[in-house]
Amino acid sequence: MKIIVAIKQVPERDAQVRIDSSGKWIEETDLQYAMNESDAYALEEALQLKEKHGAEVVVLSAGPERAGTTIREALAKGADRAIHVEADSLHQHDALGAAQLLAAAVKPESPDLILTGLQSDDLGYGQTGVIMAELLGLPHASLILHVEKTDTGLTVKRELEEGWFQNIDLPLPALLMIQSGGTKLRYATLMGIKKAKTKEFRKIAATDLGHPNEPTAVLEKITLPQKQKSTQIISGSPKEAAATLVEKLKFEVRVI
Amino acid sequence: MNLLSSTLAEPQSFSPWEKLLLVALIVASAGLFWRRFGPILKRILNSKKDPNFRLSPVAKRVWDFFWEVLCQAKVIRERPLPGLAHAFVFWGFCAFALVTLNHLATGFGVGFLYPQGLIGRFYFYLAAAFAIACAAGILGLFVRRFFVRPRWLGEKVSYESGFIALLIFLLMVTYLASFAVTDSSPAARILWWAHTLSLLVFLPIIPHTKHLHLVLSPATIFLSRGGFSKIPPLVGDEDFGLVTGTDLTQLVSLQAYSCVECGRCSEHCPATNTGKELNPKEIILGLRGYLNEFGPSSQETLIGKFNSMTADFQCTTCGSCEYQCPVGIEHLPIIIGLRRGAVNTGTWEDDHGAKLFLALERGSNALGMGALERDKFVQKQAFPIFDGTQEYCLWLGCMGGYDPKGREIIADFARVMNYLGTSYGVLRKEKCTGDPVRRLGNDLLFQQLAESNLEALAQNKVKRIVSICPHCVRTIQEDWKEFGTPPEIEHHSEFLARFADKLPKQTTNGKPSEKIAYHDPCYLGRYRNVYEEPRAVAGLAGEVVEAPRSHERSFCCGAGGGLVFLGEETGDRVSHTRAKELVATGASTIGTACPFCNTMFRDALSATGQPAPQLLDIAQLTARGLPDANAAIGRTAPGGSTRE
Repeated sequence: MKIIVAIKQVPERDAQVRIDSSGKWIEETDLQYAMNESDAYALEEALQLKEKHGAEVVVLSAGPERAGTTIREALAKGADRAIHVEADSLHQHDALGAAQLLAAAVKPESPDLILTGLQSDDLGYGQTGVIMAELLGLPHASLILHVEKTDTGLTVKRELEEGWFQNIDLPLPALLMIQSGGTKLRYATLMGIKKAKTKEFRKIAATDLGHPNEPTAVLEKITLPQKQKSTQIISGSPKEAAATLVEKLKFEVRVI
Repeated sequence: MNLLSSTLAEPQSFSPWEKLLLVALIVASAGLFWRRFGPILKRILNSKKDPNFRLSPVAKRVWDFFWEVLCQAKVIRERPLPGLAHAFVFWGFCAFALVTLNHLATGFGVGFLYPQGLIGRFYFYLAAAFAIACAAGILGLFVRRFFVRPRWLGEKVSYESGFIALLIFLLMVTYLASFAVTDSSPAARILWWAHTLSLLVFLPIIPHTKHLHLVLSPATIFLSRGGFSKIPPLVGDEDFGLVTGTDLTQLVSLQAYSCVECGRCSEHCPATNTGKELNPKEIILGLRGYLNEFGPSSQETLIGKFNSMTADFQCTTCGSCEYQCPVGIEHLPIIIGLRRGAVNTGTWEDDHGAKLFLALERGSNALGMGALERDKFVQKQAFPIFDGTQEYCLWLGCMGGYDPKGREIIADFARVMNYLGTSYGVLRKEKCTGDPVRRLGNDLLFQQLAESNLEALAQNKVKRIVSICPHCVRTIQEDWKEFGTPPEIEHHSEFLARFADKLPKQTTNGKPSEKIAYHDPCYLGRYRNVYEEPRAVAGLAGEVVEAPRSHERSFCCGAGGGLVFLGEETGDRVSHTRAKELVATGASTIGTACPFCNTMFRDALSATGQPAPQLLDIAQLTARGLPDANAAIGRTAPGGSTRE
C-alpha cells in the first residue's frame, strides 16, 4: 500500500504573531515553525497503518525552503521518502491553488491512500484535502479520528457534534482528512533523524508543475481582533435568561 | 611468654617433596585463578573503548586513589563502624604483602626477611599488629553479616562470604600463632602449611566471587570518568546509548565486575526505599550477568533478561548511589545510558514521556504551556529586560516562568536583588534547558534545546546567569558544554550568601524567629557540593535545623530525572517519605532551594491533612525580612497569618 501524507509547516502554536507592513500577511522573521497539528495526526495514522499492514509512507509538502525541517521531522518519525514542492508565499494563493499544486505532485505517484490534516493552524480553510480529492477524482471523508484497513478498503471513524461518531466504509484509493486527537503521537528519536538522512528527499519547483493559476480568492487585509467591552443585561426568568446566555455565548461570543 | 622476645617461627628447611608439592599447589592455585579471571579480563578489554576517556589530569586520580583506596575514606565515612573494620582488613592485606612473599620464598629456602634480624623483627611485629586488627575486623564483619543481618546485605545468607572470612581469619591466626612456637617444632611446620593452604585456596576463589574487587577496585577508582554523573557524549551515527552488549564500554564493564554487593547504593536510593522495582545494585549486577552470559560483542538488548525497563525509568538521578560507592562505580551514566538506548531508538513507549517530548518539540517549555504565559508574567512583574548591559541575566527556567510557586520564588528573588541594587535583566524568550530530556535520555531533543539556547544566549550577549533552579544550573554549566561554551552561571543561594552581611537578620526579641528545616536538593548538594551557602542564607531568617538525612545524604524529593513529568509512582511516594522526615524535625518552616523540591513538598504537605509547616524557598525567606515585606505576596513572618 502506498500512502501519501500531505503536511504543512506553520508558525508555532504559541508564536507571537505580528502583522507585516503590507497589512496583508504576518511578519515572518523571528517566528518559530512547527508541523501543523492535524497533519501530525495524519502522519501518525499513516505510520500506524504502515506498522500494522506494511506500506510505503510518502510525505508531501508545499512551501518555502524552511519547510524542509518539518519534512525531515516527518522522515525521522518514520516516513519512507519525501517530496518537497518548493513554493514561496503560498499564502498569496487560495485553497484551490494549494490543492492544485499538491494534486499535481500526487498524480504521478498513484497512491492507494492520501491523508491530509483537517485544517491548517494558520489559514484554517479546511478545504485543501477536499479540493484535492475532487481534482483527483477520489472518494473522501473528513474529520476522521481513526482509520482501519479492511478487505474491501477502509473503515473510518468520523467525528460529529455533541460526542457522536460515524463509521464509514470507503473503497481504495481514497483521501481522508484527519482530525487532531484521535491517537497518541510518537516523539522524534535520534535514531529516526539519523535514518532520515539517507531517505529520498525529492524537490520539485512549483513552476514545474504548471500551477498555480490566478487566485480566485485573495487575502485583502489581516487585522487583529479589536478588543471591545460591552455589557448586556439579560432579562427573564432564570431558565429563560440561562437559555439566552447560552445562545449568546455560543453564537455571539463564541466561547462554547 | 614474653611477647617482645618471641619472633616469628619459620621451618628452617623443607624436603624436596615438600618443595615439589608447594610448586604444584602454587601452579594449581594460580591456574585456577587465571582460568576464571582471564575471561573476565578479556571481556573487559574486549568491550568498546571509551571514546572520551582521558587519563589526565592525573593528579586528581592519584589523590582519589590515595584517599579512597589507601585511606579507605569513603568506606569509613559512609558506614563508620563496619567501614573501619573493613579498613583494618584491607590495611592488614597491604601490610602482609611482604609477609606473604617471604612466606612462600621460605618454602623454597630463599626467605629474605630474617625473623631474628632488626628489619625482619620490626616488620613482623608491625604485621602482627595489623594481623590482630585484621582478625578483629573480620570477626566483627562476620558477626554483622551473619548475626546482625543488616537489610542491605540481602535476604540470603552468603556462604561464600563466610568461607572467605574464615580463610582470612585463619591466615591471621596462623601467622600470630607462629610467634608462640619455635622454628624447629612440628607446630611451626603445621602452621606454615596451614597458612600456605589458606592462601592458595583463597587465590582462585577471588575471581569467582565479589572479592574480585580486591583486584579490580583500585583500578576502577583510578580510572573513573572524572566528575559526578558524567554523561559521555554520543559518538558517530550508530551510537544511541547503551542498547546492546557492543555498547558497553571498558569502563562500564570494569565497573560491573567491581561491584562488591555492599548495598550502600541501595541503602540511600529513593526508589528502593519506597518499594519500587529499581535497585541500583541490581542494575550493576545485571550488567555483570549480561556480560557473563552474552559477552561484550552481543547484539542481545541489554534491557531484557538482566535489566528491567520499568526499573530504569524509576530513577530520579539523585546520585546517592554513585556518591556512596566505595569501589568507584558510576551508576548515573549507566542508568542514563540505558535510558538513552531506549529513548533514542523509540523503544520507550510512555504516554507522559511522549507528552513531555512533544511539548518540547513544538514549544519552549516542559510544562507544555504557551510562551505568552511567561511574557505576561514578565510584563506584570515589570522585570527589566536583559539587553547585554546588565551584570546578571536572571534565568527564569520552566518553573520560574510558568509554575505559580516558581514565579513567587522568582518575584521574591527579584525583590532581594532590587534591594541589593544588583543590575540584572530577564530574557525576552527562554527555552527549557533540556534537563528532563537529558536525564531521560532523549539526545535529539537535548541537542536541539542546548544548541538553540546557546545561540540565543550568545546573541543576547549573556555573560553571567543567576538561577533559582539547581537543575538549570547543572544543565547549563555542565551538560551544555557538549555543544558549546555556556556562560557562567550560579545558583541563587551562592549569590545570596555572598551578600549575607548586607541582608537583614530576622530575629524576635534578639533570638532566631523560628526553626527552619533545610532540605538539600540533589542537584545543589551532591551534584554541586553547595551545602553551606543556602544554610547561611536560611540562617538569616531563623535557626537552621537538620533533617536526619542531610548534606550529601539528603533524601531526594522525587522530582528529578524527568520523573516529575511522568505518571503515577508505584509504592510509597518519595516526596511524602521525605516530607514526613522534614516535618518530624519539628521545624515551623521547611526551607528549600529548588522549585521542584518546593512543588513536590507542597503536594506532599497538603496530603498529610494536618496543619503543616510553612514551605518557603530561601529567596522567600530572605525577602520576608526586607523592609518592604508588607508588599510581598503569599508568605508569613512567624506569628502572622498565612496568606496563600
